[in-house]
Amino acid sequence: MSDELDEIQAIFFEECAEGLTAAERGLSAMQDGDTSSETIAAVFRAVHSIKGGAGAFGHSALTAFAHRFENLLDEVRAERIAAPPETVAVMLTALDVLSDHVAAAQGTIATPDDSGSLAALDAILNAGGASAPTPAPAPVAEPEPVAVEDDDPFGFEPVAVAIDDFDALDGAPIDLPDLDVKPAAAAEKDAAPGWHVRFGPSNDAMANGAEPMLVIRELEELGGRVTGYDASALPPLRELDPENGYVSWTLELPEWCDEARIHDAFDFVPPDSLIVIEREPPPEEPTADPVSDSAQEAPEPQAPVPAEPTPAPALAAAEPAPAKPKARPVSDARAPDHGSQTIRVDLTKLDMLLNLVGELVIRNSILSDRLDSEDQERVELPELARLTREIQDNVMSLRAQPIRQAFSRVPRMLRDLHAETGKIIDLETFGETTEVDKGVIEKIGDPLTHLIRNAVDHGLETPEERVRVGKPEAGTVTLSAEQKGARIIVTVADDGRGIDRVRVRGKAVERGLIAPDANLTDEEIDQLICAPGFSTAETISNISGRGVGMDVVRSNVEALGGRVDISSVPGKGTTFTLVLPLTLAILDGMVVRLGGQRFVLPLATVVETLQPEPDQVRSTTPDSEVIEVRGQYIPVRRLPRMFGLERGERRPIEDSLIVVVENDAEGQVGLLVDTIDDRREVVIKSLEENLYPIRGLGGATILGDGSIALILDVDALTAPSLHQTRAQMRGIAA
Amino acid sequence: MSKLILTVDDSASMRMLLKATLTAQGYRIESANDGKHGLERMHEVRPDLLITDINMPEMDGFELIEAVRGITDFRGTPILVLSTEFSDEKKSRARSAGATGWITKPFEPTKLGAAVRRVCP
Repeated sequence: MSDELDEIQAIFFEECAEGLTAAERGLSAMQDGDTSSETIAAVFRAVHSIKGGAGAFGHSALTAFAHRFENLLDEVRAERIAAPPETVAVMLTALDVLSDHVAAAQGTIATPDDSGSLAALDAILNAGGASAPTPAPAPVAEPEPVAVEDDDPFGFEPVAVAIDDFDALDGAPIDLPDLDVKPAAAAEKDAAPGWHVRFGPSNDAMANGAEPMLVIRELEELGGRVTGYDASALPPLRELDPENGYVSWTLELPEWCDEARIHDAFDFVPPDSLIVIEREPPPEEPTADPVSDSAQEAPEPQAPVPAEPTPAPALAAAEPAPAKPKARPVSDARAPDHGSQTIRVDLTKLDMLLNLVGELVIRNSILSDRLDSEDQERVELPELARLTREIQDNVMSLRAQPIRQAFSRVPRMLRDLHAETGKIIDLETFGETTEVDKGVIEKIGDPLTHLIRNAVDHGLETPEERVRVGKPEAGTVTLSAEQKGARIIVTVADDGRGIDRVRVRGKAVERGLIAPDANLTDEEIDQLICAPGFSTAETISNISGRGVGMDVVRSNVEALGGRVDISSVPGKGTTFTLVLPLTLAILDGMVVRLGGQRFVLPLATVVETLQPEPDQVRSTTPDSEVIEVRGQYIPVRRLPRMFGLERGERRPIEDSLIVVVENDAEGQVGLLVDTIDDRREVVIKSLEENLYPIRGLGGATILGDGSIALILDVDALTAPSLHQTRAQMRGIAA
Repeated sequence: MSKLILTVDDSASMRMLLKATLTAQGYRIESANDGKHGLERMHEVRPDLLITDINMPEMDGFELIEAVRGITDFRGTPILVLSTEFSDEKKSRARSAGATGWITKPFEPTKLGAAVRRVCP
């Protein structure tokens, strides 16, 4: 059971994360001027749910803070308090504190100091506020530190306070004498009746499900007893509507009963019912006071016993329900739980599924290789292939999630950065709905964080500096994502000072990364900031100087099969582009041969294939050949040569096949291959588990005949910096 | 056959917590994640008791209660509100919508059980 609770709690924390994201989104929208009631309601609901769950799991600090936060949100929601940008800013800060509280409840950090945020929230409440500043904390905010661990009869851990329920309409639940008082009370004291209660449910009461029997039962639990009833309004049977109230009862309750408790029993009995609660005059009252137990035989004056056999009809009227349950066949077995429109699945299960689908794809390829087309038709292989493909697409989509998740922590980070650096930062985001494999999302979180910190810390200038150079005071960080073919392009751009190439170069020389007289292009200098152990911050700041440099960003991204591009314009800003694979698992590929070996080119990068005519070929130097395609010059890279697979004489381009691929940075590039074998889907198997990353190769796969082919990384192969790495590649591939 | 309770709450953890708590006390539980589905589920499972949250997307608790009360078959079904809110205003709104009772979150299993037994013994 405790396991079960842990599991539920884990789900609660997931909900917290979702709630925080939703609230963040809502508040950001409010900051941008969105004042729609749906937006504020969504924020309220998010915080509200966190509070509710937190209370249930006994996270008192979290509950208390969420409660105070919710108070303000509620006032804003009810339009009793306006939410100008300053107020939204306070709420955003409160959200950060709330997020820290959630983390603290999970045990990842210490309980945050929320006093500042609380003061700010209360200030707004009190200033703009209606009369209800913080009336409420009483019940929730002081969850008596119940720390009882094991003695719960239901195996539940202490769920903080019970804010009991409908006997506590006044919101002061703590003083419930509940268990002490009620049970044997009536028997214990035969003392003089203290309270005299008459109760006749109205028709509405019956309609509200306010079962009279249950009200009476509650009064009985308080020590009361029924002393009589009035069924005089009861119509003849055939006119009787079982859903109406015809009968009233008289009860007596001991004088020590709390009046409020008696009233509470009628909490949900609509006011148009007959409810009379009177204190009986003291016992020395003259008249026939039913003093003893004989009261049962000597009914109260206003409870005339009708001649007819009333008890039965009275019961029927009092309990309209019994007739119904029979008409309610409970169909339990059917219909799965609609409550779970979404189900949460352990990611490892999805991964296993994906892996299996990958194997299925491979088997499919093997079958299609081994069977001739007639046999393929006979065994309906094309249909099987189509189904396999659909399964594969579906499984992939299961893992795809909007990249918003990775972006969601950015606003918070920027607020922290603003607090630390004093820089004013505007955030612009684009393409948040771009769907990316969950694995990718998880892994780009850290690189993204670092790039953004970097952009603010090194890129953006201080407000004064910006004004001095004629820029707006606020710097802009732009975060965008888009899908291009089988790649996801994520950019982090700032409009700051750009990379200081003189300083970068100086530093690189100082660190012995380059020779003092090295002749480097601007791009090559920019790339230096990704070199291991490079840092230009003069003082290692608390922000980006965390011992994690750009080199780690680059290696993280490359481990995902992606790459980092840097472009920077002095005085204008820097843009980091992460080019990431859409999925980590399956690739639509073109199988080509280079020097007798088979390789796979990702099909998404292929623009066209052609065999050039001699007059299309231009060549300046042996190392720089281009072909002219429809008036455009396309550089050619001789892949067999690059991989050291060239046999015999160099073949003239016009005798070769050229696969034209498109590269984000380079535009179109022609790759010279020996032959094109096939087009097929391949399952990517990582090489990096066993080998160092090899520039130019994206992985390996198993082809239909069971042989292994390497997957080419087109972006790396076409990149200009390849000239430097070619020798290295040749060494590895040979 | 034990009594059947339909719980409507947009939080999955709250639904599970309710289910675990009330199952342990001998009830059968069905659940829905918002008012709209809650209403559909009412027709499907015809519970002995409806426990609903107030703040939910799509159709909130008040709307759900009103809708349920508008259906003849459910006029006598007790409805408990389970919410972290406890303002008198909200309570009276719930009452006029047709709620039978109000339980404030967070709940303690025993007290929740006691409250539930009071309307659905």
